[in-house]
Amino acid sequence: MAKTIMIVDDSASIRQVVTIALKGAGYDVVEACDGKDALSKLTGQKINLIITDVNMPNMDGITFVQEAKKLAAYKFTPMMMLTTETAGDKKQAGKDAGAKAWLTKPFQAPTLLDAVAKLVLP
Amino acid sequence: MSIEIKQLKNAAAHLAINGEMTIYTALDQKTTFSECLENNKELQIDLSGVSEIDSAGLQLLLFVKREANERHIKLSLIHHSQPVVEVFELLNLGNHFGDPIVLSANWKKT
Amino acid sequence: MSEFDSALKIFAQESEQLLQDMESALLTLESDPNDSETINSLFRAMHTIKGSAGLFGFNPIIAFTHEAESVLDKVRNGERHIDAGLISVLLDSKDHTTKLVDHCLNCPDAPLPDDLAATSSLLIERLTGKSQAHTLQSSDSLSPLHSEGGGDISLDDSWLISLDFKTDALRNGMDPLSFLRYLKTLGEIKDVLTFFPDMPKDAEMDPESCYLHFKIVFNSDASKQTIEAVFEFAADDCDIKILPPNSKIDTYLQLLDAMDENHVSLLGDMLVQIGALTPNDVNHALTNQAHARQTDIEPVKPIGEILVEQQVVQQPVVEQALKKQEQTKQKIATESNYIRVDAGKLGHLINLVGELVISSAAMNLIVDRHGLSDAGDVAASMNSLVNAIRDTALELRMVQIGETFSRFRRVVRDVSNELGKEIELKIYGGETELDKTVVEKINDPLTHLIRNSLDHGIESPEQRLAAGKPAQGSVQLNAYHESGHIVIQIADDGAGLNSEKIVAKAIANGLIKPDHGLTQQEIYNLIFAAGLSTKEQATNLSGRGVGMDVVKKNIEALRGSVSIDSTPGEGTTISIQLPLTLAIIDGFMVGTNETRYIIPLNMVAECIEMDSRECEINEVEHYINLRGHALPYLRLGDYFHSPKTENAKKRESVVVVKFGQDKAGFVVDALHGEHQTVIKPLGKIFEKLKYITGATVLGDGNVALILDVQGLIETAINKRKKNAALPA
Repeated sequence: MAKTIMIVDDSASIRQVVTIALKGAGYDVVEACDGKDALSKLTGQKINLIITDVNMPNMDGITFVQEAKKLAAYKFTPMMMLTTETAGDKKQAGKDAGAKAWLTKPFQAPTLLDAVAKLVLP
Repeated sequence: MSIEIKQLKNAAAHLAINGEMTIYTALDQKTTFSECLENNKELQIDLSGVSEIDSAGLQLLLFVKREANERHIKLSLIHHSQPVVEVFELLNLGNHFGDPIVLSANWKKT
Repeated sequence: MSEFDSALKIFAQESEQLLQDMESALLTLESDPNDSETINSLFRAMHTIKGSAGLFGFNPIIAFTHEAESVLDKVRNGERHIDAGLISVLLDSKDHTTKLVDHCLNCPDAPLPDDLAATSSLLIERLTGKSQAHTLQSSDSLSPLHSEGGGDISLDDSWLISLDFKTDALRNGMDPLSFLRYLKTLGEIKDVLTFFPDMPKDAEMDPESCYLHFKIVFNSDASKQTIEAVFEFAADDCDIKILPPNSKIDTYLQLLDAMDENHVSLLGDMLVQIGALTPNDVNHALTNQAHARQTDIEPVKPIGEILVEQQVVQQPVVEQALKKQEQTKQKIATESNYIRVDAGKLGHLINLVGELVISSAAMNLIVDRHGLSDAGDVAASMNSLVNAIRDTALELRMVQIGETFSRFRRVVRDVSNELGKEIELKIYGGETELDKTVVEKINDPLTHLIRNSLDHGIESPEQRLAAGKPAQGSVQLNAYHESGHIVIQIADDGAGLNSEKIVAKAIANGLIKPDHGLTQQEIYNLIFAAGLSTKEQATNLSGRGVGMDVVKKNIEALRGSVSIDSTPGEGTTISIQLPLTLAIIDGFMVGTNETRYIIPLNMVAECIEMDSRECEINEVEHYINLRGHALPYLRLGDYFHSPKTENAKKRESVVVVKFGQDKAGFVVDALHGEHQTVIKPLGKIFEKLKYITGATVLGDGNVALILDVQGLIETAINKRKKNAALPA
């Protein structure tokens, strides 16, 4: 059974690149364009890993992670932050919220797949 | 995600696990296992319905095995599903549990 | 000593005695398994140790010996048969008990270290006979680890990875199994030992907490850093220890040996540099050390010891690194015998010495002119002193070229990575000395030439293999002294120059005509002409067609020369000849009419009187027949158009000069002899003068010009060719 990964990003191009890369590696992918959209798509399906951008309209990534962690079905789900800074406040804030993994933007497909595979193999 | 308990005879039970054995189910499953450990001298756990098992699920099986040993309860795991076999193989745990693992012909052995 | 302490001491002695008895009893049993008295003594040993340990509350000993005691009780009662397998387990148990006793005596309050706990549970499983197959195997491969210190681990080709997950790992979405599955993509997991010593009993056990610990025997060619990166996301939720395979020790030792002294620094940094440790390992150890310093329980351990204890690196590697550190310290200590001097002051001194040389020449002149014979002796001895001062002063500025050479190691490494080639840099003659001012100016041309060799010279590994050469190319840097010059060679074992391409390009660029008639050597030297690059695709390293001509110009500005030699398929060698110094040379002074010229003495081969028997001039074909050899020549007076004086038909002489392989004769009116020449650069307006590289002030205040011998020889040769081509 293929594992499902959700990608949350307000940039359609990033969503597309990530989706193509992940599908190519054998994952199922759910796309969401911001935190609110993502929250609404969490129910009714099983998602094995959530990858989320930090800065997004409507609901930012950190709030989204906090909200998702409140849901019984997602409190233990691994979450990965896409950050532009390698270190710093945002990464720590993400970790505090519950996203223990991170990936620094810009990234290339192999880096993404490596990072994802450490958490969930297809 | 449920555990079906069949009381076989006096102090012997057959448990069939259906669905996943993950961190999301571990708490409930542990409660069920603990009760069964309380009341039986012999436990049979049927793993054929396990669709997914993660570290929490594995840890739970290790826990049940240890508790059973300490209380001199005869524990056997049977009908390991493919996800369970995969984890047992990864960690080389087949012998630890000491139960024969029967490979179904349908499984692709990689 | 308190009563308690003395009781502890008795316990220690007693246990040691009992365990020794146990060992000899076990060995006796091997030959006579039914000796009931011996079996009894075994039982008593475990029983007594358990009882005494109970007095002191040494729980780990109690727990373990209890199991051993029960097994021996069964043996004693005939419920269990004793065989070779059990004897070997009991021997291991005896060794393990020794360690437990040591641990409890040395740090009674500390919890049992994980490895000891793991061995305990393993041995208990083996003793009780449960799940023997797997645990036997894992304990066999792992048990040497538990022999103290971490230095004698028998994991020859395998990494040993210890993962101790923290209780929140699962809640944070970190699934140990995922990491293990990912690890499998980097290599082969030979064995995994799963244990959970602190999982609480029934109701206490929280199924969402993580109690799992793993020891993984892993075979992989990946670097330590790569393996560590597998657990990157778990770093906050897991203690990760990665011990390199023993087979890596040799590699690490070699790397340490080869480490540049400038890079020798803190122990941790050195080990990170050679890849034996990751920065995380070091930080971890430093935190531990800082912690120990604060708590102040025991003397703070050196960082190396902590690293070995943490089982992230083997003892020999740490020792070697410490040795290297010590050596470097000593080297630095000897180096402190040197005085650092401002280069400006040194330059000033050398200028003054130059003036001194000129004044001393002036004085000699006056002494000569006035025929002061008694002053002559004084002047002669002063002369030799001035010479000595000159040599010493110039030597002060001499530095070894080795340091400049070794900077290119980095260039070669980076560039070859960038180009995807495997290239080794070999350095010879690093101890060769030359003037610091020359060294500074040669750096850029050298960099360019080396980059060229890397980029254009060395082929890709595939091409090399296809050509039957080893995949790894090599670039050699070599320096040596040759007749007053220093020669620097850059040699690669690459494809060599393609003369057809060079010719085609040179014709296309209008550098030569299609009917050029150039020798192979001359074709190769075309690459120093402006606007010629034969590489079809320019890379960002070199290949834009500017550069080689600049290199040549830079080298010529140093009064040096550059030449190239190449064998197709075997490689290219570029040789740079440079003067040792830019300040003072031994010159040979000649004169035509009123003008005086200086020829660097080391370029003078011989002087011959014109029209002597050995030497005959052929004005038409423009050569001098020197003992049967045709020698191209130049009449310096005509060539430089020096004003003719009418006391002509003085006797002419030929000065035979050589540069490299080439020779020529300069026809002059007068030979003035050796002259110490202080080189004064020509002013801006004369900078572009051809065939004059500088000037010097003579003792009488006149100026003499220093000749560019190399250029003049070329001119002479060309002239000879042109005339020889004429029908005779």
